Amino acid sequence: MSSGDSVQILLVEDNPGDVRLTQEAFRHGRLANDLVVCGDGDAAMKLLRARQAKNERQPGLVLLDLNLPGRGGLDVLAEIKADAALRLIPVVILTSSDAERDVLQSYERNANAYVTKPIDIDEFLAAIRSLGDFWLDVVQLPRS
Amino acid sequence: MVTGFMGLLQKKYGNTLGDEADEYIGFAVDGARRMQGLIDDLLTYSRVGSRDRNLETVNLGDVARSVGQNLHLLTEETGATIEQADLPTVTADRLQMGQLYQNLIGNAMKFHGEKPPRVELGAERGNGEWRLFVRDYGIGIAPEHRENVFVIFRRLHSREEYPGSGIGLAVCKRIVERHQGRIWVDSTVGGGCTFWFTLPDRTRSGGDE
Repeated sequence: MSSGDSVQILLVEDNPGDVRLTQEAFRHGRLANDLVVCGDGDAAMKLLRARQAKNERQPGLVLLDLNLPGRGGLDVLAEIKADAALRLIPVVILTSSDAERDVLQSYERNANAYVTKPIDIDEFLAAIRSLGDFWLDVVQLPRS
Repeated sequence: MVTGFMGLLQKKYGNTLGDEADEYIGFAVDGARRMQGLIDDLLTYSRVGSRDRNLETVNLGDVARSVGQNLHLLTEETGATIEQADLPTVTADRLQMGQLYQNLIGNAMKFHGEKPPRVELGAERGNGEWRLFVRDYGIGIAPEHRENVFVIFRRLHSREEYPGSGIGLAVCKRIVERHQGRIWVDSTVGGGCTFWFTLPDRTRSGGDE
């Protein structure tokens, strides 16, 4: 998948503080990726649908918060994974919740991974960077 | 305390740390403030469940009027009007009835859109129960969200648009259910909301004010 040109990461997150921390993680990481941010699930689906309609390149990775205003992250996840054209995009749940129910429901809806945001800042930065490295670099994904 | 020390840091060293540090402090202060709000709201929520039931004869008209007085700053600020019809006297926990009206009227005034908020309170007598309502003419709620607005932490709007912890209506539901009642909302987007709740009508002989 790493084809030289920069891959976009879509972050669906409503908390401006968490958005900023994630931006910092990527800024200081070695991946020079564009981070696109949507503040809620509707905005995220609108973006994905618009790109689909215009046949534009989709994000290489979606980082999805669960606790979003309006429809929740689980709904967004289910919609992405129910759509043949979108379901190949890796979706990683990135949330402060470590509740077993959230973990289970996310995997039941075919989340590619579930990550609880580490509280410690060094661990947080490391987790975000390794997510980027893993999904955009290490794994082999189907060419879209 | 976090906000206090962050404030001190900003005040004493704000100019020397640079713009980015100021931004970080801003995020920290905002986060600490929100966490404080969350803890306060969670305490309220947990108290509804843990407090001993303290049932007494409560005139809901008086309760709603005093909530209106508590909210007078908000009322003046937004130009809100609260129209209160006759409300019954019920057997209930007085503090919890105050909390219930406070949250429902507070919401009615908060989600008002362009026009100044207009809130109507009233009651209908049903079969062995009172059906009470708090109606507004604000932004309304889409049909798909009518049930999950009562789920704790569910918010329909971004923090920038309408700040809040998403606990208020969960508190309302808990209070009503502890009084053997039900709560629901009738609403359309742009058409305002009517929150309904029921309370047992134990006083067969009337009980209006």
